[in-house]
Amino acid sequence: MDRTPLVPQLFGHAAVSAGLSLRDYLHDGEALAHAQICARERYRTDAVFAFLDFGVEAEALGAPLSFRDDRYPDVVGSVLGADDDPARLRLPEPASAGRMPVCLRALRTMRGRLGDSALVAGAVAGPMTACAQLYGIENALYLAIDDPPRLAAALDFSTRLAIRYGLAQLDAGAHAVIVFDPAASPAVVPPGFFREFLAPRLERVLAALRDGGAAFTWLNIAGPTAGILDCYARIGADVATFDYYLSAAEACRLLPRTCLAGNLKSLDFLDAAPDRIERQARALVAAFEGRGGFLLSSGCEIPPEAAAGNIAAMAAALSGD
Amino acid sequence: MDGPHTSGPSTGAAFQPLVDALLVGDHKLLAAVAQRLIEQGCSREQVVTDGLEHAMGLLDDKCTVESFNLLEIMLVGRAVSSVVRVLYPDGYAPTQGRATFVIATLEGDVHDLGKNIVRMVLAGKGFRVVDLGRDCPVDDLVGAAQREGAVAVLVSGLISPVVSQVRKLRPALRACGLAHVPVVAGGAALKQLRPEALDVDYVAENAFDGAHYLERHVSGAPAA
Repeated sequence: MDRTPLVPQLFGHAAVSAGLSLRDYLHDGEALAHAQICARERYRTDAVFAFLDFGVEAEALGAPLSFRDDRYPDVVGSVLGADDDPARLRLPEPASAGRMPVCLRALRTMRGRLGDSALVAGAVAGPMTACAQLYGIENALYLAIDDPPRLAAALDFSTRLAIRYGLAQLDAGAHAVIVFDPAASPAVVPPGFFREFLAPRLERVLAALRDGGAAFTWLNIAGPTAGILDCYARIGADVATFDYYLSAAEACRLLPRTCLAGNLKSLDFLDAAPDRIERQARALVAAFEGRGGFLLSSGCEIPPEAAAGNIAAMAAALSGD
Repeated sequence: MDGPHTSGPSTGAAFQPLVDALLVGDHKLLAAVAQRLIEQGCSREQVVTDGLEHAMGLLDDKCTVESFNLLEIMLVGRAVSSVVRVLYPDGYAPTQGRATFVIATLEGDVHDLGKNIVRMVLAGKGFRVVDLGRDCPVDDLVGAAQREGAVAVLVSGLISPVVSQVRKLRPALRACGLAHVPVVAGGAALKQLRPEALDVDYVAENAFDGAHYLERHVSGAPAA
């Protein structure tokens, strides 16, 4: 590739761009694949994503979700009550559980149509995020203090869940599976908690994905990650997303040999400001000149309702790169 | 708040166990300590001002933008709530508390953890907070502000679709004659935008930052 790869986190925006409701997009693998491929062509990006939402894993285990046309679903009932033991859960079968098949179908279609001409990426929830789905975020966090062994058991289950779902995505054609773990962010749990409870489990997920044939591993945690970024390389992340809280220089200092993806502010894409987006994107690309190992992206998901001109401006920043 | 202080223990040392329990987030111990202080003759106001508010001040100093995290704050919040339940089983009455705020997560957003934390932090600082819950219509929030005599309206938002709802708040307040009531926004999505982009008075980086703004507002100090 003769320029910096353009890998914006375009998920639900692909649906909006294709004139689909999010509800339909999230229930139909063919529609999702078509919308992703159209978005890639429209914005000349280098990746498509079979990311659905953060309710997929919980839904596959029986949690009810509330869907709307214009936004992501909400988990409206926890799989586990505050006092429930995660040992009663059984891993779901990705080929049939909830909407996991939607993701697998989208990956098969996208890989079949794109081959190796673009990155075809899958997505799983990391252990802390999946655990928060199962218990609800408040109960999951209180477990850390009230019942650490039960939290550990829930995290172990979530780790096995991420591995099983991720391996199914690789079998369906994903080049790589991005591990999204927003609940592992230092905005949610302290860095010490991350190192003790989450890093070893993320390491297991990333190793299993690599052993399962992933071209590379990718860890995506949004928010102020300065306190944990330095351990990403040790736990096996080949690519690391960094959010707007960190400068490019700081991210490079913390992860000198890891490919970095980031870090335009996602909410900046809402209101039309293409000149500013292009200027910021050009500055980012310039910051990595000479280092390499950079994917131009946003630090978090670009909102579904983002202004199209802003995303086009991001692509324009790479012209002449 | 209560009337004049009663004759219970009034030294800082008497409240140290309460402060210590709050700082480690031990809600059960904290509730027991608060109960004991009341039984020893402390007024509810003393427990709030010399205990809770003092501890919250110490926590506030510890919580920088870099070190603020939900887990630790939630533990403290749960502890504060346990004390407030001991002191005011029915919540602060309209005549109690340093001032009244109304708070909500607006329609379209059901993520209310951030809102709950703000509510608990403000309760720990002795304010009365009327919580309208999540997925709350703008008109309901404005109506509550009018009804409760709120001195500020607070909104928390985790996801981007709520931005359009926040932008409706100011015109709705103005239409009800509440143009003077400031709006404070916070949460992962909203804090990425500037106040003028949201048409609010202040965008808080976290719960303590928002509380600082509100303290200044209530005391009549100029905004920082």
